[in-house]
Amino acid sequence: MRQLLVFDQNLSTHVVDWINCVLLLGLIVFTVDVNGEANPVKKEGWRAIDQLSRWERERIDFRIDTPRDSKTGYLPAEPFPFTAPYTAEEMGYRMMEFTHTARWSHVMADTFGAITKAGYLSQSTAVSMIGQELSTQEHIHAEPGAVHARHMYYYIYPPKNDGIQELWSLRRTGLESPVKLDYFAYTPSLRRVRRQPPPRRDTPFPGLAQSFDDIIGLESWEFDWRLIGADALYETVRFPNTRPKITLAKPNGGFYELDTDLIKPMGESYPFYRQDGGIDCFVVVATPNREWLPDYKVSKIIYWLDEHYFYPLRVETYDGNGDLKTIEVRLAKQENKALPEGHGYAGILAVYFHTQLDLISYSLHDAHMVKEWGEEDLIQFTPDFMRRRWLKYPQKSQAMVSSPEEFYMRPRLLKGKFSDERPVSVSLAIAARIAAQDKAGHLVFDVDE
Amino acid sequence: MSKMCPMRLRYLCEPLHNILLLITCCHSRKISILAVVLLCTLSGAARAESGFAAFERSLATFDPGGQYLTKPIERYVSGLSLNGTLMFWSDYLLSDKDDIGFRDRDFRTAQMQSLFEIDVSYHFSPNFELNSIIHLLHDGAYDISSSDGLYADRVDDSFRRYNSFERIARELYLSYRTSTLDVVLGKQQIAWGKMDGQFIDAINSMDFRESVQIEPSDYELRRLPMWMANLTYYFGDVSLNVLWIPDFEPNLNPTYGAPWSSPLLPPADAEARNDQLLLNGRRNAAGDRVVQTQRPDWKNISDHQIAARLDIASGALTWGLVYYYAWERDAAPFVIGRFDDASGEHLLIEPSYERLHHFGITSDYAQVATGVPLIGSLPMVFRAEALYTKDAHFVDYQNLAVVRAGGSGNGVSKHDTLRAALAFEFAFPDKISVIFQPSFYYTFNWNDSLGVGFGGAIADEWNFAPVFFISRPVESTRDRLLLSLKLTPYLSGPNRNYQGTKTKLMASYEFSPFINGSFIYTDYSGGDSDDLFGQYHHYDNIGIELQYQF
Repeated sequence: MRQLLVFDQNLSTHVVDWINCVLLLGLIVFTVDVNGEANPVKKEGWRAIDQLSRWERERIDFRIDTPRDSKTGYLPAEPFPFTAPYTAEEMGYRMMEFTHTARWSHVMADTFGAITKAGYLSQSTAVSMIGQELSTQEHIHAEPGAVHARHMYYYIYPPKNDGIQELWSLRRTGLESPVKLDYFAYTPSLRRVRRQPPPRRDTPFPGLAQSFDDIIGLESWEFDWRLIGADALYETVRFPNTRPKITLAKPNGGFYELDTDLIKPMGESYPFYRQDGGIDCFVVVATPNREWLPDYKVSKIIYWLDEHYFYPLRVETYDGNGDLKTIEVRLAKQENKALPEGHGYAGILAVYFHTQLDLISYSLHDAHMVKEWGEEDLIQFTPDFMRRRWLKYPQKSQAMVSSPEEFYMRPRLLKGKFSDERPVSVSLAIAARIAAQDKAGHLVFDVDE
Repeated sequence: MSKMCPMRLRYLCEPLHNILLLITCCHSRKISILAVVLLCTLSGAARAESGFAAFERSLATFDPGGQYLTKPIERYVSGLSLNGTLMFWSDYLLSDKDDIGFRDRDFRTAQMQSLFEIDVSYHFSPNFELNSIIHLLHDGAYDISSSDGLYADRVDDSFRRYNSFERIARELYLSYRTSTLDVVLGKQQIAWGKMDGQFIDAINSMDFRESVQIEPSDYELRRLPMWMANLTYYFGDVSLNVLWIPDFEPNLNPTYGAPWSSPLLPPADAEARNDQLLLNGRRNAAGDRVVQTQRPDWKNISDHQIAARLDIASGALTWGLVYYYAWERDAAPFVIGRFDDASGEHLLIEPSYERLHHFGITSDYAQVATGVPLIGSLPMVFRAEALYTKDAHFVDYQNLAVVRAGGSGNGVSKHDTLRAALAFEFAFPDKISVIFQPSFYYTFNWNDSLGVGFGGAIADEWNFAPVFFISRPVESTRDRLLLSLKLTPYLSGPNRNYQGTKTKLMASYEFSPFINGSFIYTDYSGGDSDDLFGQYHHYDNIGIELQYQF
């Protein structure tokens, strides 16, 4: 139970604040004792390296120094997608397949939004056209500066954003080529396509909890990788009890409803659920290589990767001071059935929790349509195309949250797991709001802090 | 829902009412500035109260226009898209000085404009679309004060309201698109250029009623659309845009009786407002007679305008070339004769719109600098634009004096002009955005008897305006509050050296995903009273803008 106690150490010298802490902690403990967590974390789900199962140990290559690629010295010598056993570094490279947007050409409606601690809700919808030019393997071995994907976003909601467009040309980084993308924006009120400075990779988008790197993914050679154990995840995205159903869109424009309590983290067809419904994950830590990322305001990122496909179901980002900054949890499903061995999995919903601002945001990928772009279609991935204000594929979504109380809940903190690596703490006020949401089963905004 | 509305309105109206009262009652600049500061911090302070939090939650989803108007219509009419905007923007002058140059500035409200915009699109097919933008505008400044200095609506009623088809049907066009070709036919506006200010953005004429107060964010509403054929062909990373423009629109300038009419424009308001010939443009301040303006005729194909633009994207570099065979937007006043009347000898003036050739270039380039002290990496973009104009027409006051004394000439001379700018945009940490844009204007073969001509320097051979802009969202408001500062010093040579500085401070707040508000303080300082910004020393003002989009 001590693991549930949350307090800010900065307050420890103030007697009055201590009293407040004790009272609040008592409240939290009492709340948890009486109500418990809706789906309590099973402590036996997480294992340190020396507690891994035999199958897990056989799947892992514990070496740190492995042979290097003869041409590009910072890449592993073994060709992607590697074979078992896998080093932590190889898991990091495999994870590059599962960026926020699927790594194949497609169209979808991306509905996203954020809610503040006070319940201020803002949402947008953009039709996303993704032109994937290089496979993950080709991306890894491409020359620095090469474009590996082009993303075109056409905003259709809210009305003030209608017609805003963005074009991202994603580039493979190199030590001498730090530019990760070319970024153009079209603003209807200015009627101009303007090249924008690339966003700072570690800075959240305006009004959202997720950063640019959260969206386009990491390039694994910029990080050092290590394995810290394994865990079983039973829940990633948490739907509130005020939202029993969600309406999703088919690629052809039709809609269907799903019971939210029946949604599984990796979809129905994932073959490796545990008997108790959990998903076994390797837990790996990525630390920025300061030669590549000298001023990256992130000290480390911890990933929960499913042990079979290395799909990241939970991601924790720690700021430059080593404090927990954001938690990302995902729902995925097999969107591209033409790709074998789990390569066709893509995220359909990601929830981000900024643990310092108590800001929750989400991004839902709806009406996913796999699309091989013809020669004539490629014209729409050029900056000038945006001036035409032509939405060729008007994918729709009805998956927006209709009221603050129906917003996605804060992800679980999973306190106590890998505590040496995970200094998980939130402020007293946020702890109170988490306790209130867990008790109510949905976000609560008027909380006595 | 119906029970919620009065509560929402109370939350909305009370603080806004108090704010407006505070600002409109302020008589000193200090108190006015304090009001703005208070306003900017209002939301943050009020959010501490749970009642305000509840208000914010309800306001975030408050969209009656969408809920009861646009969405039901869209559901009923398949293929129809509707967007609406309600805008209110106003400027309150801080100085009560009323005799400024030739102006009788006995008003404090420089504008109080309300605009209702409906943007309608109908999709006949995925490739074929009809678009229309309708504007209904009313400027209450002409109604609320019994000012002697505001009478521009007697010159042109569009200063006060839009009541003609030309103004109300702002845009109306059919578009047909294939992967490689766009054909857009109808009334439309074209925005070329990406800079702060207009450099290659020269296709449409402008409504310059706000004079030096106009900002790039106003261009969308202030361009004057024209009937034209707009064709673009795309091949790879290259596109070619061709415009054929039978239509012609002159600029709308801040004439006599307009809030931003120049204090340097003679005669005095006391004389001008009662001189109907002057207001109708049939006589000038010197008593010269002005005959019918020669303007292009759309029925004459040789009077049509033609423009072309080629754009090329190549990795981190994009660039383009522009040509525009155009008409000048302001008529050149040619002297065509002289006559005598009781007050003496006067000139006969024939204003005429003349042909121009514009040649432009645009380019931008992106880079990330690494190892920048204190910052580390620094993403940045460089932009460049230049427009060379051949044979722009200038009033030549020396020649005019010669003509007036009985010599030969027409009072107008032709000069080539160049306007160009480089912009350096930086993305600093903490979402701080900085733009530094040195802008340059030059008149070839200049002499100090010249007036103003398209693209040239103002009142000098060259002007140099190093524009500096910085903005930062406030994270504690979840980036809903955006603060920005823009400085526009205006340097000049060889005669005037410094023509003043325009300073603009702005706080924009996202009240909801549908409602935005801005509070703007604009200051004009420095320069002499006959300089570009110097003449507006007493025009410092506070602006309030509210916008609801549904």
